[in-house]
Amino acid sequence: MRGKDNRLPNPITRGFLGVIGNEKRQSISIPLFAILLSLVAASIVILLLGKNPLTAITSFLQGSGILPKPDYAAKKSILTDFMSMINMWTPMIFAALAVAVALKTGLFNIGVSGQMLVAGFVATITVGYSNLPAAIAMPLVLVIGLVCGGAVGALIGWLKHKFNINEVVTSIMLNYIFQYVTSYFINSYYVNPVSRQSQPISQAARLTLVDVNIASLGLKMDIPLAFLLTIPVAILVLFLLNRTRLGYELKIVGLNQKAAKYAGIKVGRSMVSSMAISGALAGLAGVTLYLGYYNSIQPRVLTSVGFDSIAVCLLGNSHPIGILFSSLLISIISKGSNYMSSIMGVPQEIAQVITGLILLFSACGAYIRFRVAQAREDFPGKKLKPRAQKVKEGGDEA
Amino acid sequence: MNTVIIDGLAFAIPLFIIAIGGIYSERSGVTNLALEGFLGFGAFFGAAAVMVLTGGNLAGIEIPMFFAALAFAMIGGALFAMLHALLCVPFKANQVISGVVINILATALTAFFTSQINTYLLGKPTNKFVLGICERFTVPVISKIPVLGAFFTDVYYFIPIIIVVALFMTYMLYKSRFGLRLRACGDNPHAVDAAGGNVSRTRFIAVMISGALSGLGGICFAYSISSSFSPSIYAGYGFLAIAALIFGNWKIGPTLAACLFFGFARSGGHQLTQTLSLPSAFQDVISILPYVLTLLLLVFFSSTNRAPRALGEIYDKGKR
Repeated sequence: MRGKDNRLPNPITRGFLGVIGNEKRQSISIPLFAILLSLVAASIVILLLGKNPLTAITSFLQGSGILPKPDYAAKKSILTDFMSMINMWTPMIFAALAVAVALKTGLFNIGVSGQMLVAGFVATITVGYSNLPAAIAMPLVLVIGLVCGGAVGALIGWLKHKFNINEVVTSIMLNYIFQYVTSYFINSYYVNPVSRQSQPISQAARLTLVDVNIASLGLKMDIPLAFLLTIPVAILVLFLLNRTRLGYELKIVGLNQKAAKYAGIKVGRSMVSSMAISGALAGLAGVTLYLGYYNSIQPRVLTSVGFDSIAVCLLGNSHPIGILFSSLLISIISKGSNYMSSIMGVPQEIAQVITGLILLFSACGAYIRFRVAQAREDFPGKKLKPRAQKVKEGGDEA
Repeated sequence: MNTVIIDGLAFAIPLFIIAIGGIYSERSGVTNLALEGFLGFGAFFGAAAVMVLTGGNLAGIEIPMFFAALAFAMIGGALFAMLHALLCVPFKANQVISGVVINILATALTAFFTSQINTYLLGKPTNKFVLGICERFTVPVISKIPVLGAFFTDVYYFIPIIIVVALFMTYMLYKSRFGLRLRACGDNPHAVDAAGGNVSRTRFIAVMISGALSGLGGICFAYSISSSFSPSIYAGYGFLAIAALIFGNWKIGPTLAACLFFGFARSGGHQLTQTLSLPSAFQDVISILPYVLTLLLLVFFSSTNRAPRALGEIYDKGKR
């Protein structure tokens, strides 16, 4: 296994350098190294609680349907758990892609949660409460998500371009505004008196088929249809960024605004379109969350998916394919936390702590890269030792 | 009218000290989106310290424990801020991302430790420490003045404390040698280096100060709005403080104005729904007032806004 040798006490600087690899490989090996470090740190926490860390890790995987549990309730199996994990994974992918597109243009979209809420809310009250058949309702939900999210994103970009309003402030303000406005409408018109949430949407509009009976397997499971879109959309984003003129302009604006302007790129237009694309992706995340994973909206609450996605995007190196994997990891941890907590008797919050640690170590990725480059320059030898210690320090701090 | 001023002040002043924390960090060149996490962790540390010191029984010693909580919140905030400082300064991590990660970690850690501490202390894993409401005082004569007197009526104990701290921090930022260095680090770190200053150390300290001040603001929110420490402390006040300081153009005076504006717009909205006896759902519509007004004002004022020049840049000695 990669990195297993890192844990050996003494030697291995050279081996470590070999494993981390050249710059191209580092984009994969360094996040993996960060994950490994965080697992070690999490294991220490679990050990301190007096439990076996290996059991904890297996139970995370069991809870999210990667490994089989010892026994299942009727009509449930590993596939049921896996599908329900995918159901949670889907919005995370779109949200992280949204952050990535904006980040490539040097913009920071902290308003993903708000954009998700708007898209989910509009789709809920228009299509969700209508009687449209599924074949029309589902595509319509997706389109509404794209349009609403995109419009909000474009507004943020336009305010930045036209009035020089920092996009972080606009996004934060809009997050609050959406949160309260949707809450007003839900509480006044669409509230379900029992659950205190919005009325559940019609089954036809829901992007996840719930409790489908599969007779041939004798199973009941959720089928998240929107997941089929995630991989094509990720590839589309990759294509947009790497193979199109628009994507090229977005990246140049992100790298150096002045140079972009000098080269004749319309910086303002790039920022608006980048935020519009980012918002549209966030809108997709919103409809897959509120009209897929859930079927109602809780008023006055912004989902944490939008904020977690920022870190997921980083863990995936802001690369669409990397994001697929990093969001999978985070989904496994959050989905498996329930089962882990019941098996181990540790509080469920530990899952959040582990997620936090993974993200913390991956934030140090640039530093690891820097030290590796330095050690390589100095000749693979003694110099690497302090690096390993430094990283440990970060871990103790956490 | 009096309630508007009293409640507005009780919200604006803690927000202001958090925003000053943000100004310290950002003027030194370190982007700080972690204020939310700092204030939460600081409040947690203060509340947890009080719980551990008293064993969960606060009766009779609320006031000394309140001061202890303030002190511990500042210490906790500063310690937690070291993590952000460590990532941003020596580890050269992306500062925006570090901030977001710190927020996630703060939410997770405080929730985890709160339930652990409660399990040991009270025997049940609840997610909050009950602190009670901070005491208030009324200045005898001045409070009789119409309108202005409201500023001296039912004042929370923490308000004068924060004002003193804020004055001191303002003095330090604008008049002291350290403050000058700090501001230079945010605009031209190479000049500081050339003049014999230590950019990394200044930035590290600035982020820690930011954590301490946010912790102070956080514990004050815990003692006023919710009368307890619970995950509801993460209600976005840190982000609001960031908005206030950007609105205030990274200067302390205008930031105070922005915070007061937020506070009064907020309490004014509450008051409005009550006097008009509107249905409670209208509360939500009124609540957007501060945010909509901010956006509108920004449309007119932000063309002159200028962030510290080296904000968010990792200091690289070798770069020209």
